[in-house]
Amino acid sequence: MPADPNMKILVVDDMSTMRRIVKNILKQLGFNNLEEAENGQEALTKLKAETYGFVVSDWNMPVMMGIDMLRAIRADESLKKIPVLMVTAEAQKENLMEAVQAGVSNYVVKPFTAETMQEKINKIFK
Amino acid sequence: MAQPRAAAKSQEVVNEEEPADKTPDTKLYEELGELARFIDTTMKTLSEFSTPVSTSTEQLPQAQTHLLNLKTQTEQGTHRVMLEVEAIQDNHAHLSKLLKEMTQTLQLAKASPALMQQMQVLGQGLGQDDKRLLDIMTALSFQDLVAQSVNKLVTILDEVEHKLLQLVVVFGPYQKQAAKTDQGKASQMLKQLEATKNTSMDQDLADEILKQFGFN
Repeated sequence: MPADPNMKILVVDDMSTMRRIVKNILKQLGFNNLEEAENGQEALTKLKAETYGFVVSDWNMPVMMGIDMLRAIRADESLKKIPVLMVTAEAQKENLMEAVQAGVSNYVVKPFTAETMQEKINKIFK
Repeated sequence: MAQPRAAAKSQEVVNEEEPADKTPDTKLYEELGELARFIDTTMKTLSEFSTPVSTSTEQLPQAQTHLLNLKTQTEQGTHRVMLEVEAIQDNHAHLSKLLKEMTQTLQLAKASPALMQQMQVLGQGLGQDDKRLLDIMTALSFQDLVAQSVNKLVTILDEVEHKLLQLVVVFGPYQKQAAKTDQGKASQMLKQLEATKNTSMDQDLADEILKQFGFN
C-alpha cells in the first residue's frame, strides 16, 4: 500500500537543523502533515496523545535515545505497528543489527540524499 | 664493600640460617638507596609538570566554550541558508502552479507548438532547480555531523580536564597563577578566540557606529 500523503508523520531529532531537513524532504515528497519532537521521550508522549502513521527518528539524542524509543514503541500495544525509519550517523554494523532486532522498519545513514529517503519510504509502504 | 664470590656465596648460606639484621646486605641497601633516589627524582619531575598541567586544566573549560560556540554558529548559519532555500522552494511551487495553469489555457487556445515547447522547457528548468534546492538542503546535514563531533570533543575535553585535575591534586597544589606565567601557543590561541568573541559585532551595531561617523 503506497504511503498516504495525509498521514501524520513525527520527525524526532535533537538537532533543529536535521528536523528541518527531514521535514523539507518529506514536504517535497508530498507529505504535509508533519510534527516534530526533540527526543525519544517527547516523541513517545506525542505518539500516545495523537495518531501518527510514520516516525522518522535519529539515534543519538539526550533524555531518551532513538533506539530506546523504538523499543518502547514496539512494546506498546497501541503503537507497535507504526513504521519507524531511523536516520542516523551511527553507521556501525552493530548499531544496525541492534535497530533491526528492536524492530526498525528501515535505516538511513547520514549524510543522505532525498532519493535515499524516498527509496526507504517506498520500501516501507510498498 | 665488594666480597669475594666464594665468601659471598658462603654469606648467602649463612643468611638463610641466621636473622638478616645481624648481617646487613650491602647490595640490598644500595638497591634500596637507588630506588629511593629514583622515586625522589620522579616525584620532582612530576611536580615540575604541575604548573603546565594547572595551566592546561584552566584552559580546557574555555576551549569547551569555544567548541560549543562553534556548534551554535554553524547551526545558526545553516538555518539562515535553509530559510533562503525554503523561500526559493515556495516561489518555485507558486511559479510551477502558474505555469501549469498557463499551459492549460494555451492548450485550450490552441497555441503554436513552438510556444507549448517553450512552456515545457520552462517547467523542466523549474523542476531541475527544485532538485538542486533539495540537494542543497540535504547537503546542509553536514551541520548535524559537525555538532555530533563537537559534542564528542567536549565530552573528551571534560574527561581530560578531570584527569588533569586529579594529577594536579596528587602532585602539587592547584596554581591559579600558573596561567599567567606560562603563555604557550594554546594559551595565545584561546586569547585570540576570546578577543574575537568580545569584539565581534552584528551588522546593526556596525551600522550604528558608521552612522555616528557620518555614513548613511
